[in-house]
Amino acid sequence: MNSKGSALDKYLGLLNGPQTMGRGLPFWLGFLAIVAALALGPEFLSRYQIINFSNFLISGFMALSLCLIWGYCGVLSLGQAAFFGVGGYAYGVVAINLLNAHGNTDIAFIAGIIIPVVFAAIVGGIMFYARLRGVYIAILMLVISLVIGTFMRQTADPDYTIGAAYLGGMNGLRPDSPDDPLLPSLIFGFGQTIQEFDGRSVSFYYLTLGLLVAVYLGLRCLVNSSYGYFLVGCREDPERTETFGYDVRRIQLSVFCISAAIAGLAGTLYTAWGTYIHPDGFGVAQNILVVIWVAVGGRKDLSAALIGALVLEWVSLRLASEGEYALLVMGAILVSVMLLAPTGVVTTISDVIERLRTNRAQAEGAKAPEIRKP
Amino acid sequence: MPGETDTPIIEVRDLVKNFGGVRAVAGLDMSIYPGELHCIIGPNGAGKSTLFKLVMGIQRPSAGTIFYQGRNVTRLKPFERARLGLAIKFQAMEVYQELTVFQNLFIPLRRHHRPKQIPEQAAHLLEQLHLAGTEEKLVSNLSHGQQQWLAIGMSMAVRPEVLLLDEPTAGMSPEEVSETARIVKDLNAGGTTIVVIEHDMAFIRNLDSRTSVLHYGKLFAQASFGEIEQNEDVHRIYLGTM
Ligand SMILES: Nc1ncnc2c1ncn2[C@@H]1O[C@H](COP(=O)(O)OP(=O)(O)O)[C@@H](O)[C@H]1O
Ligand SMILES: [Mg+2]
Repeated sequence: MNSKGSALDKYLGLLNGPQTMGRGLPFWLGFLAIVAALALGPEFLSRYQIINFSNFLISGFMALSLCLIWGYCGVLSLGQAAFFGVGGYAYGVVAINLLNAHGNTDIAFIAGIIIPVVFAAIVGGIMFYARLRGVYIAILMLVISLVIGTFMRQTADPDYTIGAAYLGGMNGLRPDSPDDPLLPSLIFGFGQTIQEFDGRSVSFYYLTLGLLVAVYLGLRCLVNSSYGYFLVGCREDPERTETFGYDVRRIQLSVFCISAAIAGLAGTLYTAWGTYIHPDGFGVAQNILVVIWVAVGGRKDLSAALIGALVLEWVSLRLASEGEYALLVMGAILVSVMLLAPTGVVTTISDVIERLRTNRAQAEGAKAPEIRKP
Repeated sequence: MPGETDTPIIEVRDLVKNFGGVRAVAGLDMSIYPGELHCIIGPNGAGKSTLFKLVMGIQRPSAGTIFYQGRNVTRLKPFERARLGLAIKFQAMEVYQELTVFQNLFIPLRRHHRPKQIPEQAAHLLEQLHLAGTEEKLVSNLSHGQQQWLAIGMSMAVRPEVLLLDEPTAGMSPEEVSETARIVKDLNAGGTTIVVIEHDMAFIRNLDSRTSVLHYGKLFAQASFGEIEQNEDVHRIYLGTM
């Protein structure tokens, strides 16, 4: 393989690059096929299945968010759900307060992304500038997530209101009085027209799919840009990278904020999907599941992490009817992957395909060397 | 040879670094002059690597001051010092093991070049380092000596004013050592001030530069390598009879 690339690479620019696997026609045809299959889903699936699929897609954002900071920048966070939950609550609180006045959830949607970023800037600022590292960041993030969850659980007292929104403790976020609006699905207002995306509807599914594809492609460009090299430099050897004149802590903080934005978007979509957000969103299981998806798929690649999340979420839904058994299977999957394919299942499969292709290319090159002569 | 009247490009004054009870650098005064090629030798544990880390800002001194081009940089972070023109290759292997040669060079080269210029710049550097055509190789597939050269090349890639090299020839064959001497001299001839910590006497003799001897964290002797080689006291500390 060479860095000069083919004609296709020229059009795809940063979508193809050193930090993401999959390039060339076969990969992009496969990508289009998967997106097309997902887009055609509503033709074949029941309403109930579409609702579940919307939820799978939301997990995809969480996987991308963790993959970015852990896989690319080497910062493992066991508390990615903190940003998910903060985003979800922010969306809900703002939506309940502004829906009657504005008739849409535009500002709530933005708040669901921006507030987790502000939160990440504060928490990350403290962590990175205190030069916390590795396992300390991972655990501190989990603790932060659990502390917020614990706080939210004890907000059943009627005093815990933010404007028209009542935090509601274990019962989840709700309007303070019967006059206030219920926690809404997404309602976007474009000038005079409004477009509603009911969480149970096919339109919500398409919105989520569209956003997921956009975030995935956007992140591919990001990690294949110079910034992506800096992330990988920080992952491989932060001290060495700093001696080249890069402000490693600022890079870590910036990527932490980007990942918080994506997790916040996931929390926003989740809250709009179920018109519901609850302190359990900050729990251990929520945090650890994300790590399992990304580790099983392959943490060092966006596509691998994304596929890991979608497939495992689908598997766990299949198993959900089997009760306790489901958790056992998830655990078994994680352990076998750790032992058999420590870089992740998708990454390992892709490496094997890549090796077969180069071997074949070499074999063909050996057969017909004179073709290269002018 | 630089005159003592020039402003030193690097100057440390009363520099001290303690690690618990160990005094790695013990009140060191030393100056490096612009354009110089300067060797630092001394027994193991003399504080040579610690001195480099203090100059680069990787570690904070317990006491003392560090000047760069006459400016007090003691409180600056490593990346800030790097932006002023300091670069280092630490004693440990200093390449990104999981990346290709090209990717290893991209990161430092990106400091002063646009992405489109980087392939050409990388090829040029690799030419100088006897690594031409290795762009797509994984660094872990290079020989030990080649990895050392790449590490030097990565530090050169940020176009530093001063390059600190901590044991660049460790683990190299004699041919590779003399090749490294050529690389270092070429770079110095191009105007870069270079300070090298070394143990390999053939290498230092080849460089034939002003040489400082560190002992117990202090400057023990400083002279041309020829004089240092004749110095009885230096022989004694190397043999550990002092
Ligand atoms: N990070 C550290 N923690 C504790 N002691 C250290 C550390 N770095 C160096 N030392 C000690 O400081 C002394 C000088 O070490 P160093 O600068 O590496 O010597 P040299 O490079 O001249 O061989 C040694 O006694 C070493 O054990
Ligand atoms: Mg040393």
